[in-house]
Amino acid sequence: MIGRSERVASYAVLIVFAGIVFVPVVLLVLTALSPMPNGQIVLTNLRWGNFADAWQQSNFGSHLLLSLVLAGTVTLVTVVIAPLAAYAIAVLKIPGHRALFTLFLVGIMIPLEGIIVPLYFTMRATPFASTIGSLIVAQVGLSVGFGVFWMRAAFQAIPSSLLESASLDGAGRFRLYRSIVLPLAKPATITLALLTCMWVWNDYFLAFVLVNNPDQLPVTVTLGDFTNKYATQVNLMSACAVLVALPIVILYLFFQRQFIAGVLSGALKG
Amino acid sequence: MTTQLSAPKRSRAATGRARSVAPDRSGERRKARLPSWRILSGWIYVLPALAVYAYVVIVPTIQSVWYSFWDWNGVGTATWVWFGNYVDFLSNPRLALALQHTVVFVFFYALLPICLGLVSAALVSRSGTRGNGFFRTVIFLPQVLTSVVIVVMWNELFSTSGLVNSFLKTIGAGALVQPWLGSFQWALPVLGLAGTWTTMGLCMLLFISGVGNIPSELYDAARVDGAGAIREFFSVTLPGLVPQVAVALTLTIIGALRVFDLVWLTTRGGPGDSTVTPSLLLYQTAFTEGAVGGGAAIGVCLAIVSIAIALVIVAFTDRRTS
Repeated sequence: MIGRSERVASYAVLIVFAGIVFVPVVLLVLTALSPMPNGQIVLTNLRWGNFADAWQQSNFGSHLLLSLVLAGTVTLVTVVIAPLAAYAIAVLKIPGHRALFTLFLVGIMIPLEGIIVPLYFTMRATPFASTIGSLIVAQVGLSVGFGVFWMRAAFQAIPSSLLESASLDGAGRFRLYRSIVLPLAKPATITLALLTCMWVWNDYFLAFVLVNNPDQLPVTVTLGDFTNKYATQVNLMSACAVLVALPIVILYLFFQRQFIAGVLSGALKG
Repeated sequence: MTTQLSAPKRSRAATGRARSVAPDRSGERRKARLPSWRILSGWIYVLPALAVYAYVVIVPTIQSVWYSFWDWNGVGTATWVWFGNYVDFLSNPRLALALQHTVVFVFFYALLPICLGLVSAALVSRSGTRGNGFFRTVIFLPQVLTSVVIVVMWNELFSTSGLVNSFLKTIGAGALVQPWLGSFQWALPVLGLAGTWTTMGLCMLLFISGVGNIPSELYDAARVDGAGAIREFFSVTLPGLVPQVAVALTLTIIGALRVFDLVWLTTRGGPGDSTVTPSLLLYQTAFTEGAVGGGAAIGVCLAIVSIAIALVIVAFTDRRTS
């Protein structure tokens, strides 16, 4: 029944889609290598030095490092505190665990726009106002909801007989968590870390609103400023854009299974 | 049991201390208290996450509603205006424009990618090409790129000397050459296409993986009945993909409603007000014009609409699948 033509058609569709995705990406990379400020592509003259120039352009490199600190810290803190909370909710079933879980779920549904105005004033009143510190706190708070939701699902998949026998062997609650629950949920924890890292690195809006100090801007906002400031140096701007995209794209290429499965099942469960 | 559970709840710390300073209570009483302490101490595991979550999400959510009833410029004294901010927002002529643009974005962010995704999923499912690793990697790539990078790409594609205009010149359609993002007519759809480009891969992979979960007996049965490709699509593939379509709709419609970065960094809502969006109105009201209460009111409206969209789609899907 399945004709050869249908197989050809389905490959044709996949190739067309891949091509549509590829055109802007290739255009960006080639423009980043252009020797001309207007970004004209010269395939025989690829100027790799653009990346070095981009790194130095208005301290762009230091903003990249700042984003690295931001994404790294938020990911680390989230991956420590979200599974702990999920453990109390899914395994220990502490009193009020249902209400707690609902509370965390509600937070996933509220868009950032619904909290951004008071969040700005809350953060402005703190000692770390307008710095990367306020972004770290805000991003951890925003990541925790999904983290608890995600880790709870992973912990619920652990057979309860396993947990019971460990308890009978005298394992305390923290030992149970550290030696049984967490190792079994390692794949889910890795996916959570990757997704959190990507969301925090890619954020523009939150940083744009919360951080006013130009030295403390994460790299996405800096690049956003460049699109206005350096519109005439298209090649350097593209090089900057490639540098912004690169860390997550590299992570994606290494862990693509986790990224795709994480986003798809995260979406499905949400 | 209830008394033991609720009594220490009132003073958690005190109970803990009491237990440690008075260890020589009768064994029977200690046994009775121990479980409740043990249960409550489980809260220690939740506390770090709950504290930062409450600080960043729960409290500001409540504050948003509270702020939205005040007329406040961020520094001076505030006046209670009841629903004044909501009336202002809902009667703002720019809101009508923003909503029209949102409808256009829903087409580009949601409907177009979902249709493309369904067609490709149907084809791929029929031919048994599961969309191998390479295609998956490429098609999903836009999902991991940040909006600012997409903005840079779109500038290069659609600027006056961009790829699209060069292409039009080469094929002899030079009359169509124009600064696309500066055009009243074209800026909005061109920005919409960036949305299609980003969400297309997500929809496709969501549906292709969904087709994998449809029992193959259903396809066999359809083929035995002599159903053609189109019949098969409407009677097997589409009904089987209802949950995935619902998820894709929820994500992409809410995405279309919340567009900010893409518009802010390319057109700032212009030319004129031709690409203004609800999120842009929020930002300008709260942070450029300094109408904090007004901004909060827009935020509350956006949150309500987003949650309502999600709930309506979930309710609709539940009815369809049960």
